[in-house]
Amino acid sequence: MLTVTDLHASYGAITALRGISLDVKEGELIALLGANGAGKSTTLKSITGVHRQVKGAIVLSGGSIANKTPEAIVKKGISLVPEGRDIFGGLTVEENLRLGAYTCYDRTTYRDDLQEMFTLFPILEQRRRQAGGLLSGGEQQQLAIARALMSHPRLLLLDEPSLGLSPTMVDQIFLLINSLHESGITILLVEQNAERALEIVDRAYLLTNGSITFAGTPKSLRSQVDIADVYFGGDEATKSEVAL
Amino acid sequence: MSAPAKFGTVMGRSSTLLLLIVPLVAAGVAINALGSPLVINIYTFLCVNVVLVLGLQMFMGNSGILNWTYVGFVGIGAFAASIMSTDASLKAMGVPNMYPFLAKIQLPVIPSLIIGGLVAAAVAAIIAWPLMRLSNAVGVIVLFATLIVMHVIMNQWDNVTNGPRTFFGVQAYTTLWVALAAAVLAILAAHFFRESALGLRLRASRDDRFAAAAIGVSVVQARYLSFVLSAFVGGVGGGVWAHFITSFSPKSFYIAEAFLLLTMLVIGGQGSISGAVLGTTLVTLLREGLRQVETSLGSSGLVGDVFGLTEVALAILLIIILISRPDGIVGGQELRWPLWKRRKAIEEEGA
Amino acid sequence: MEFVINTISLGSLYALLALGLVFVYGILKLVNFAYGEYVMVGGYALFVMGSMQGVPWWITAIIAVAMAALVSYLTELTAFRPVRTRSLSALFVTSFAVSMLLQNLALILVSPRAKAVQFPPLFNQTVSMFGAVTPMRNLLIIGTAAVLLTGLSLLMKYSVIGIAMRAAAEKFTTTRLMGVPANLMISIAFIISGFLAGVVAIFWVSRSASVDPLTGAAPLLVAFIATVVGGMFSLVGAVAGGFIYGLLFNVLSVFLPASLINYRDAFMFVIVILFLLFKPEGLIRGNYTEERVG
Repeated sequence: MLTVTDLHASYGAITALRGISLDVKEGELIALLGANGAGKSTTLKSITGVHRQVKGAIVLSGGSIANKTPEAIVKKGISLVPEGRDIFGGLTVEENLRLGAYTCYDRTTYRDDLQEMFTLFPILEQRRRQAGGLLSGGEQQQLAIARALMSHPRLLLLDEPSLGLSPTMVDQIFLLINSLHESGITILLVEQNAERALEIVDRAYLLTNGSITFAGTPKSLRSQVDIADVYFGGDEATKSEVAL
Repeated sequence: MSAPAKFGTVMGRSSTLLLLIVPLVAAGVAINALGSPLVINIYTFLCVNVVLVLGLQMFMGNSGILNWTYVGFVGIGAFAASIMSTDASLKAMGVPNMYPFLAKIQLPVIPSLIIGGLVAAAVAAIIAWPLMRLSNAVGVIVLFATLIVMHVIMNQWDNVTNGPRTFFGVQAYTTLWVALAAAVLAILAAHFFRESALGLRLRASRDDRFAAAAIGVSVVQARYLSFVLSAFVGGVGGGVWAHFITSFSPKSFYIAEAFLLLTMLVIGGQGSISGAVLGTTLVTLLREGLRQVETSLGSSGLVGDVFGLTEVALAILLIIILISRPDGIVGGQELRWPLWKRRKAIEEEGA
Repeated sequence: MEFVINTISLGSLYALLALGLVFVYGILKLVNFAYGEYVMVGGYALFVMGSMQGVPWWITAIIAVAMAALVSYLTELTAFRPVRTRSLSALFVTSFAVSMLLQNLALILVSPRAKAVQFPPLFNQTVSMFGAVTPMRNLLIIGTAAVLLTGLSLLMKYSVIGIAMRAAAEKFTTTRLMGVPANLMISIAFIISGFLAGVVAIFWVSRSASVDPLTGAAPLLVAFIATVVGGMFSLVGAVAGGFIYGLLFNVLSVFLPASLINYRDAFMFVIVILFLLFKPEGLIRGNYTEERVG
């Protein structure tokens, strides 16, 4: 469904992505792993049009989306759950969800869609009229995901969903991602928490310093790559420091 | 470093100064010898403007903060210097309500100019500290409001300024040579400020406020000192201007003038002295040219009074520059000799 | 009692003024110096329409408001949008340039001298209520403000556009990721801003019954100050700021000794500046954030 070919992205003189390629087939749950600063967020920003000075190809179901505006890309069926939740603190839960449905709002089905979200995330129904800023971290994460789902995306992008959450919440989130996968949604998961991600995904890519250093199944990744490498970016010095 | 290389570096750094000062002086000499009174007048006015714009550049170019109040300090300097240097009898006649102690004083022009700068700097020192702590939107508005306050005070305090009426009788001390000398001094001052430790701290805070703070730059202090320094230069420039135009009123230090100085700075490029000088030259010449067009249009009877044509043209030019080259014609880097080495310097600094 | 009505009507005017400014600030983080000129444009539209024979006054009023909104939209389209994509900090300077441009265009195309503007006699008719006598226009402004403020808050609260604009003011890029077109939101903000300026123009100009190229300067200042007093960061704050500023103005007008009355503006600003220095967020904290430097 999504094919990225030889993508280069820079911020001014700093190169963040040095020609990466990946693909996500329909119905798959793919992980993009890597240490801090490896380029995972830049990849998502390039795909969603937040960063629009990229070279290379980004193709969604046959149509190019490279360097298009976020509004245009979202209309084609991609939904992003941004890093750090990024929900609208000043808007109520319900208003957040309403905005999520902006691209496909249909008065007849809206109520049902909303109810579906509330069934999936009961806590959101409880807090439907509260301002987003008053929710806890875990609740905000649920809101962010629900908001992304309101537009019935074909491809769901998740940017570090487990970041900053308590262990229980992390469990819940990964359970949720798994069940979304099982319901047929195509998902690209960007995560630092490699262990948990590898438990549920079909395939994984490893991003190191702007380049893809591994692509394959979780099993082969585990056998070929030291998981510590994923966290520390393959830096021998850091690894040996930590080992001591 | 080998001798030729060292020479090259020194030449490179001061080449900006030479590139700016030499043509300016050469033009001055040529115009003085050959030019008509009108051209001499324009050139002198240009040099005075250079002083004023460079004062603005010192703060605004290096900090990135739009400084509305600058033109107010120019006014303070203009009034202070004029009060100091003007003949006592003229003052008594022109400003009937002036405080007696002010009316009696008369000093030579040069000390008066310096006093003008000092008074402006003193006022700046008093009011600026809290202002420097404000962030963008609020800061812009407060600086704007401060200018209004300054203007109201200048307009009302007729014991000092003669209120909204014209203050006249100032000696026409600013000849071509005086203006030229002032301009050269201003270029030197702005250059050395820019390259000084304070200037560097300021530029660091402009480019990344938090990173600068992280390495120990006190952003507020850097801004404050630069603001006061800029006010000093503005005050002296105001005095020089006052002795050029010989009569003025608080009207000359308000929004329209602020716009003019801003235009000169931004069109050329606020980040560099070369930009400031270039922009000043361009806009001054443009204005004079348009002024001629306006008067000839008006006197030909074809169109009614077309005051304002100059401002419209300048505003449009400014907008075009902001759309196409927001850093100004020259951009953020100084002109250097050889000119093509500048490309390299830009790339190096950009990386 | 007259004082109360006066203050409420002045405050209403100032509130609308501040609101128009904050609409654009919220979305673009731009303090729009050209805002005062939208008021001026409204005033000139009143003059031009008024000098045409046989046009009912209410049509004149509508056209004036529409013109102000149109000019606001056009300035966004031609000047602010291209600069916005290049450099955020250049926006300030651009708005100043647009302001100068509009002022001088008025100067050239119409006249540097003030022009008289007609108003229906209704405006100046005095009405007696609760023991006070006040011109009708004071009541009109209060009524208009009430209607507009109610309408706008309903719009912002319940319509999807309102939700989108509130979201955009908080997080612009994320709102785009919801599929909301950025340019649309910004244009709407400018149109609303111009609309409010136009409404204010009607009442502002009615106080002096004349318009000149510098008519926009005073409203701009009021908008600025009222906005920062109330808090740059929320629509409610802007309204509150407007009322408070109106109150301050009237109080100073009454209590300042005659010798200092000319300094009233200076006093107001000094008070406001001092207030800001101690409380830079203004009175009402909103959703937008803005940091202090030191």
